[in-house]
Order: sequence, then structure tokens, then C-alpha cells
Amino acid sequence: MEAFIDGISAISPQKTLDGSVFLQELQEYKGVHALKCIEPPYSDFLDPMASRRMSRIVKMGACAAMKCLKEASLENPGAIITGTGLGCIEDTEKFLTSLYTNEEKLLNPTPFIQSTHNTVAAAIALMLKCNSYNNTYVHRGFSFESALLDGLMLLHEGTAERVLVGGLDELTNHSFAITNRLGFWKRQPIDSLRLLEYKSKGSLAGEGVAFFALNREKSEKTIAMIRSIDTIFNPGTPAETERRLSVFVEKAAGGMGKLDLIVLGMNGDPEMDEVYRHLVNTLFGLVPCAYFKHLCGEYDTASSFALYLAAAILKEQKVPEAIRLDKRSIGQIKNILVYNHVRNSNHSMFVVSAC
Amino acid sequence: MEQLIQKLKEEIIDALNLSEMNPEQIDDKAPLFIDGLGLDSIDALELTVLLEKKYGLRISTAEEGKKVLYSVRSMAEFITANGKA
Repeated sequence: MEAFIDGISAISPQKTLDGSVFLQELQEYKGVHALKCIEPPYSDFLDPMASRRMSRIVKMGACAAMKCLKEASLENPGAIITGTGLGCIEDTEKFLTSLYTNEEKLLNPTPFIQSTHNTVAAAIALMLKCNSYNNTYVHRGFSFESALLDGLMLLHEGTAERVLVGGLDELTNHSFAITNRLGFWKRQPIDSLRLLEYKSKGSLAGEGVAFFALNREKSEKTIAMIRSIDTIFNPGTPAETERRLSVFVEKAAGGMGKLDLIVLGMNGDPEMDEVYRHLVNTLFGLVPCAYFKHLCGEYDTASSFALYLAAAILKEQKVPEAIRLDKRSIGQIKNILVYNHVRNSNHSMFVVSAC
Repeated sequence: MEQLIQKLKEEIIDALNLSEMNPEQIDDKAPLFIDGLGLDSIDALELTVLLEKKYGLRISTAEEGKKVLYSVRSMAEFITANGKA
């Protein structure tokens, strides 16, 4: 299943909202445990009266979606589909805290209404007055992949001509504290761009929002195309991942030799990165490799940032040194494989190509 | 009464996240909903919670709610009439 990408937009710990600056000015964060998004002046994108109730993730989502649609010259998409691991966790925390402290009485309606996972997709639809298909997937590390697959199927079946697909997750103090107790993050503060140099257990927490305007047909706005997507749940061994990935690349791109770049989801945790290292040493051969989680941190829908990065690289034909894993020469970039996994359970892969 | 109205305006701005506004921009007698401040039904719920949390006052019927939440002044009069000012 293929689709053309007419517009991309992201709000992340990088300067992604201004797509022309992103790849030239990578942001480094020193002495941190987590990366937070660089938020734009929302009043430039959203009506203050309409956005006053929106929490941070809703504002980021609505803002990125509006920018994406504008870039694609798309006023009313045939579907709005989002994927999120934790949804609007800030408002969920507010609501639950209020429920506890007020002994289940006098609850403010706003955090309750906005604590649902589909708030962002709904807010975008309300802003656009869009009555089309609206769906949100909450499948942990497959949330964005499920949303993307749904969007691709709608286009493939002809149910919609153009769709808006997004991945989004926010990091809060509570969610960080809980996942930190589970050992997800490095204990010592780190410098983000040196993420892979630390050999300790755990990764760097992150967050972000990325939206894509997808089209059935190639248009004058098209910047790249998604050739194929696949997922593997709990593959068991790196060898099994290698086998599945090999089959996928053969079908989607015609073999490893056709790839110009591979973008990997290495997150700095030696245990989690084992499969990537295995693939670099076996399957990937001499294909240049890059990685991205030192730019955005680890979160359930980080693969949406990777897809944004791949599309931006294809558009700009530029691969910053700070994301490269090797020194292999890179010529014209036509085909990129994105391969990511979350907690070694949710493995996903996309092939994205220039048009 | 004027002191209470000023305090209410600040509480409304805070409760409804009207961060772009200041108390002077809210007309005491202007309708809070649709015209005037342009609030909606979710705001009505937020104001009901505000009256109960801050002043211990409950609005018992929809009719009473329409009267009490008509303007900042009507809210202040309701608070004063119930001896909670």
C-alpha cells in the first residue's frame, strides 16, 4: 500500500515547526533525563478563545495539524486519524488528582472532557468543521503505526482521497516518575547528542507530535511517498527480526541494495539496542545508517518523528552529521528504511521514497 | 459588592483560562454566555463548580442557573443574597 506525503509538520524537542531550520540547527540538551518539545507561540496558529481549554498536547497537536494541512493545501481531509500511547495524560492526571483530593465531588469538567485519548483528533475536526472519519488508536508502541495503516487502507480502498495522520505523546512529571521507577530512563543526567556514548541501562525520555497529509495520487505538493509499512510484535530473537525485515525490504524496495539510508530507533539502552547492532552487523551491509532518538527521546509514538525525519531528509536531501551512525558516503537519497522498536515488543518498519 | 465583583472577575478569568483578558475588560452587567463574553455550556459547568468550591453555594435548578450565571453582577448578587460575600 502506497501513499504520497503532501505535507509534514512536527512539534518536538527540535526546531521542527520550521522545517527549513530543523536539519541545519539540531538542538543539544545538556545534563538532562528527558527532552521536552519546543512549543511555538500558539496564538499564531490557534484562536485564543478556542484554545483556552486545550492542554499542552492538544495545543501541540492542533497546531501541528493546522500547519501540516496548510503545507499540503488541504482544507478538509477525508479522515483524521491519530495514534497515541498515553493520550492526554496531563489532563488525565489533573482529573484523577481532583477526583482524589475532592473526594469524588466538585470535579471540573474540562480536564475530564479532555482526558480522553481522542481529544486531539476531535479538536482538529471541530476546528475544521470536518465531519469525516475520525479515529484514534491507542496501542502502545504500535499506536502511530495503526493510525498510519488505517490511513493507508482508507486511501487504498478509495474511501478517502486525502487523509491527515498523526502520532502524539506528551511527557509529564508523573508519567516520567512512574516510568523512571520502572527503570526506563538513565539514572545520570546526560547530554542528548551523546546518547549512544553512555553504556548505562535506560534511555532518554521524550515527547512529540508529528502530522502527515497523505494523498492517493501524486500532486504538486508531494514531497515523498510511503511505499510500505509492517509491524512485528515480540519477534523473540534478533535473527527473527532480521528475517522479517529482510522479507519486508525485498517486497517494499526490491532489496537492501536499493536503500540509500536506514534510520534506526536506537535509544541508548544497551539491551534495547542489541537488535539494531545485530542488524547493522548482518542485514544492513554497507547501507549508511542514522538514528534519531537523541533528537526526540523515547516515547510510544517516536516512530512518527522518524517518519517526519525521513520525509524531511528526502525533501532537503541532507543528512546531518549528528544523526549518522557511520561515515559511509551518501549520494542522492531515494529510498529510506525506518526501523524502530519500543521496549523490544513493538517493532515497526517503513520504506519512504523520494518522488 | 464592587469588591466582590472584582474578585469574581479574577476568579472567572482563572477558572476559564481567559488569559488574554483582564478584569477591566469584563462588563459587570453584560451577559456571560453567547453574547458578551461568549461563554458556552462547559463554562457554565465550570462556573457552577466555582460557586460551590469557593462560596459553598449550589445552583439547584436550570432556571436558577440561567438567572445566577447571567452576568458577573448577578453572580455577585446571588453570593451576597446567600450571605457568602
